[in-house]
Amino acid sequence: MSIEEQYRTRAKELLSGGAVKMVIGYGKGSNASRRRPIFISSADDVERLVLDDACITNLSGYLVSEGLLSDEKRVAVFLRPEGIRAINILAAESQLDADQIVIFGFDVAGNEVKALKGIHVEEFSDVITSIKESAPEAAEEELFEKIEKMSPQERFSFWQEEFSKCIKCYACRQACPMCYCRRCIVDSNQPQWVNTSSHTLGNFEWNIVRAFHLSGRCVECGNCDRACPVNIPLRLINHRMAEEVLGAFDHFAGTSKTQEPVLASFKKDDSETFIL
Amino acid sequence: MSETFEPEIIAFVCTYCTYAGADLAGTSRLKYAPNVRIIRLPCTGRISPMFILKALQKGADGVLISGCHPGDCHFTHGNYHARRRWMVFRALLDFIGIPPERVKYSWISAAEGVKFAEFINSVTEDIRKLGPFEQYTQLIDQAKAPASL
Repeated sequence: MSIEEQYRTRAKELLSGGAVKMVIGYGKGSNASRRRPIFISSADDVERLVLDDACITNLSGYLVSEGLLSDEKRVAVFLRPEGIRAINILAAESQLDADQIVIFGFDVAGNEVKALKGIHVEEFSDVITSIKESAPEAAEEELFEKIEKMSPQERFSFWQEEFSKCIKCYACRQACPMCYCRRCIVDSNQPQWVNTSSHTLGNFEWNIVRAFHLSGRCVECGNCDRACPVNIPLRLINHRMAEEVLGAFDHFAGTSKTQEPVLASFKKDDSETFIL
Repeated sequence: MSETFEPEIIAFVCTYCTYAGADLAGTSRLKYAPNVRIIRLPCTGRISPMFILKALQKGADGVLISGCHPGDCHFTHGNYHARRRWMVFRALLDFIGIPPERVKYSWISAAEGVKFAEFINSVTEDIRKLGPFEQYTQLIDQAKAPASL
């Protein structure tokens, strides 16, 4: 039996037995290579679920939708390892109760889908540890290394070029499972920290703030990158930040549901070589 | 011969240590570069990275951040939190292309009036050498210009 069928059966059992009130998974998209999130609450609909190598969106963000988990019922969700890490972070930041989440874990190697064993986040800690140890590269490693080698002026010009394309649609924010603030800092206008017009200055500020708020929290699922209508390589900034917190504080985001957020904790002997 | 460039520098300091240190520098009649505008905050932990961006947005050529030495924080650990935040923010600015030389960090206690004066002088000198932050001021000018139709 394929994983798709196994998971359909499991979803059917969970829904018909009332163990979960909803299954969040992937369904057919607008064309053969696209998948869209679907929200199933009836056992009769499980045939709509699709699971293949085109299922790339991180669905964990839907779990923090207002009111979804407040009735304390369980919700099942299809997640890749990055999504599972995201659940850990959301739980660590008290945004959800991890016990309410039933995980349909899967991973894609090449174009083969394999199931990840487990139901609750704790059971996936080995998978997450092995990702940490394998030190994943940036999505576009070549470009990343090229940027690293540039002089500050060149880097500034590179990002100026990229950010000049930004139209401030905030799709990156909406797509990100970690951007759950009811009131985002860019929506605040007293004081107005970030220029809201989509001129390059305001775009710089917005993208710096976005990346900073994701430092030590980003799981590099790539939702922002794919959501960006003008293809700014947002993931590279997030990757640089992930590298920084891993190097400086040995912090790999989302290893457990009790992990302390990196910027809300400290050690007395943290590095301070840059402080005069 | 053009005039020497006088950088505008914004300093965010904590009131318990560095601000008192600046005060000591003043009462000790130490002379230091007049390019710095000091903004006093309750603690370095209160210094949001947004402040740094705001200073740059308003045309600062450099930004200084200074507070109590580790272990001396009035609120016991505000500066430890700040230190982590700066570490990450510094890396971010660097990756975006805002030279780290323009944003400087230091620990200056209430007793270190001399260190404060020297710090201000050396940073002002460094930023004077770097010159105005043209790449950023260009963006500011663009933002101010009326939209082209």
